Amino acid sequence: MRIDILLSFIVVLIGIYGLCTSKNIIKSVISLNITDAAIVLLFLSIGSSEGGDPPILNGTISSIVDPIPQALMITAIVIGAAITAMALMLSIKLFHYYGSLNWKDIMEKEG
Amino acid sequence: MEFIPIYLIFIPIISALIIYLVHDKRINYLVFFSQSLMTILAIVYFMYFDKLARPQLIKLGGWPRELGISLFIDRLSMAFIFLSIFIWWMVLIYEWHRSKEEFKFLFFLLFLEGVFIAFLQSNDIFNLYVLLEIITILSAILIIYKKDGYSVKSGLFYLLFNSVGVSFYLIGLILLYSLTGTLNMGVIADRIAAFENTELVRLAYVFIFSAVGVKSALFPVYTWLPRAHGAAPASISALLSGLLVKSGLYAFIRMNQMFNITILYDFFFILGFITGLSGVIFALSQKDIKQILAFHTISQIGIILMGLSAMEGELYIGGVLHIFNHAIFKALLFLGAGIIINRYGTRRITEIRGVFKESPVISIFMIVGILAITGAPMFNGFISKSIIKYGLKMELWKVILLQILNLGTATSFIKFSQMFFGTSHVNKIKEKGSTIVLGILAIACVVFGLFIVDILDLIVGIDISFVTIFSFKYLIEYLVTLGIGYIIYKVIIDKDYPVIQKLRHLNVSFQSTNAMLIGFICIMIIWIKLRSG
Repeated sequence: MRIDILLSFIVVLIGIYGLCTSKNIIKSVISLNITDAAIVLLFLSIGSSEGGDPPILNGTISSIVDPIPQALMITAIVIGAAITAMALMLSIKLFHYYGSLNWKDIMEKEG
Repeated sequence: MEFIPIYLIFIPIISALIIYLVHDKRINYLVFFSQSLMTILAIVYFMYFDKLARPQLIKLGGWPRELGISLFIDRLSMAFIFLSIFIWWMVLIYEWHRSKEEFKFLFFLLFLEGVFIAFLQSNDIFNLYVLLEIITILSAILIIYKKDGYSVKSGLFYLLFNSVGVSFYLIGLILLYSLTGTLNMGVIADRIAAFENTELVRLAYVFIFSAVGVKSALFPVYTWLPRAHGAAPASISALLSGLLVKSGLYAFIRMNQMFNITILYDFFFILGFITGLSGVIFALSQKDIKQILAFHTISQIGIILMGLSAMEGELYIGGVLHIFNHAIFKALLFLGAGIIINRYGTRRITEIRGVFKESPVISIFMIVGILAITGAPMFNGFISKSIIKYGLKMELWKVILLQILNLGTATSFIKFSQMFFGTSHVNKIKEKGSTIVLGILAIACVVFGLFIVDILDLIVGIDISFVTIFSFKYLIEYLVTLGIGYIIYKVIIDKDYPVIQKLRHLNVSFQSTNAMLIGFICIMIIWIKLRSG
């Protein structure tokens, strides 16, 4: 197993651990972000190869890195940014309504 | 002619953009124009498609199928497209007198329609991911549209949890891409077959199915659904329960066709039963009309999953048919509940009484919906349930499991129907458009119940003439189920024991939901390990 794949897998696990334990909404959003970023890292490290050239055509084509993971991950990053923005916007709204950002406080309040 | 599917995606999106940018209440009538245009185009395309008699692959940009983005249209996606156009018609007519000037609402609604139709035709696992995320974001916006505290927290829960689920889809996608080197579902299906079921393919399958399970609200990971569907405005609840939950089930069918791994099918049957049972139990404990209906969405998804636990034969046909029937009667029930909540100003089922005396027409339509969901003979729910039962004929215990779910549904809807009895006085609000919508949906329930054999033969070319639409045996069976349900309701549910109260106030936190998702993945992995020895 290559070290970069292993490391990004560990970061995925850290993000999931955060999702399963953090009691604060902002922390949950950050954990989701960590998971997403780590998945991006994972895909990029699977797609890359030692000593490969960047996928830009300049006459000589030998051992280029697979460009598709990079193209896909740009999209995934954009989606992650959109979700983060919306989640943070909603947490501001929730803070105005309930005066707290704790999942437990918010979920147990009626109305 | 062959590019009509692309128009179907972009007509609603472009009209949504025009509505948003022009920002004038007269231009809002564009929604009906775009809907009519889409209906006509879909029918025209279906005739063309029917003549060709084979699935269509549209390559965008003319790239080869391994590299480029392509759309795939077969009879299943065609049927889903018709269903979604129909449900959007219903929602728009129902909402029209309330939100004809709310251009933002119409913008998100129409945009969602385009995205959903794109999702139904997508033949590319990465596009499927992107569209799933867009569907999540747009439905979260529609859920919080009322902007009160309850809907905002439900919307946030929905948004975060669904994107956690879809992240797992991305992990599965990475595995699949690194194994097969392509994103096209058709090509992946061809290449996977050569792999002889390696461990990694199965791991990718498990990850993708955990995301599908989150989107379609399967057993441990459905806690977002009752919140979200309870908090949304009535029309959006109908859309979410009727159609958008099915995006998960549609992905389920497509992924099963792609992977063709049969090792989890028994698991899906049991999971379907557990999903259905827990949905029924929670529905029995609830007192809020919309929560009851939302939990019944879960129970019906369980029945659908029991049907989809085989990818061929009667079981599969019954499962797919139940998706359609459920969309129709659940939309009817949610929209009707919306009208009733509006009139009575409360959502507690114990406080709503005398609906039948106040508004007999709406009550009759809703009773049709209740008869359909509980599986009365001659209504559409009965047909799909009996096809599933027919598919299970060999195994008695499976039929018994299905009957238990039926009994629970009957009991719960006896509780639900208590609101028709008694008397009360409320202000009448004239809502002509809404009543017409309920009428159309109720007629659809009956028509799909009575003429389903001919309709399926005509449109899909599947012969289901083995189903008996009406016989006294089934009628008596149904009445007995109702009777037992009534006894259970009177003896257990109506007494409101402390256990039931505890179930009603059970609040699963966000962290435990995520932990349950991890548990769900682990159970699938263990099951595969055990079965493959």
